[in-house]
Amino acid sequence: MSENAAAHDAPTSTGIDHKKLIMWLFLASDCMFFGTLISTHLLYRKLYPAGFTDAEGHQRFIQNLFNIELTSFSTFILLMSSFLMALAVSAMHKGQIKSFRRNVLGVIFFGLIFLGCQVFEFTHFYHQGLTIQNSVLGSTFYVLTGTHGTHVAIGVLWLILMYFYSFTGKLGGHVGALDVEVAGLYWHFVDIVWIIIFTAVYLVEYLGPNGFWGTGLPAVTK
Amino acid sequence: MSHSTEAAPSPAFLAEETRRYHHFITLALWLAVVTGAEIVLIFLPVPMPVVLTVLSLMSAGKFFAVILWFMHLIYDKRLLFWIFVGALMLAFATFTGLLALLSPDRIDPKWFS
Repeated sequence: MSENAAAHDAPTSTGIDHKKLIMWLFLASDCMFFGTLISTHLLYRKLYPAGFTDAEGHQRFIQNLFNIELTSFSTFILLMSSFLMALAVSAMHKGQIKSFRRNVLGVIFFGLIFLGCQVFEFTHFYHQGLTIQNSVLGSTFYVLTGTHGTHVAIGVLWLILMYFYSFTGKLGGHVGALDVEVAGLYWHFVDIVWIIIFTAVYLVEYLGPNGFWGTGLPAVTK
Repeated sequence: MSHSTEAAPSPAFLAEETRRYHHFITLALWLAVVTGAEIVLIFLPVPMPVVLTVLSLMSAGKFFAVILWFMHLIYDKRLLFWIFVGALMLAFATFTGLLALLSPDRIDPKWFS
């Protein structure tokens, strides 16, 4: 951490802008919130490795439902949106409003692609018989990824509003750059949560012949 | 949000922003490469504990790279870093505690059915 930050100290008792401090405190609380959701999902995966039973009474395994290509694509999209958000914040610090708008449009576009992928995935899972009600796996999976998706949707909405607000001429200077930076912090947080979800929820299901959690059955039946 | 009536950024500030800009590009490339490596790794014939350890390290690396550079924690005040790391430690303690307390050999799953 650079002590050069002292050169840009805010006139507050901590030297940190209040908006930024509040956002970090919120992200810290959200971190614990997602920590609990991820823990719950992993715990129940451990307790119920057998997956779920579809509407026709067939035992199904989550590994057979996941589409790693789609999830990898949406992960890549979210990572690149985070990169564009960092460029948008940098552009605002330099007072380059047009560059800010270009990058924010990119973030919004990527965010919408991610949400589209998630809607597609949920729809596919639902038609395969995994619902929020028919299994513990469905409950924890949809609540965890759905909460993350809701965060992405809120972020997209926030950035759309900020994009249009920039045309009023009121988004500029230090305060405008700070507003964009705070929105950027939220967006990057959504990205880091997905980094964990991608590994803890999706990738581990591909480890070994029956995934990290196994099938809960004595023999491999995949 | 307010009207801009402030002076243009100083050359030193612009130079610092340009330096960060290059960091962001390098980091984005690394993130893409590491994500690609994660996907390849899960299909390699490597023992599961090894894959799991490497995956965890890669995820942690990506996680901290984003919070340090994209979220500016490496450039900002240390207080912000400790606020976030404190919450992260609490979240990890919750995770560890839950997994330790509620392992299948210590509870009866019928309680939840």
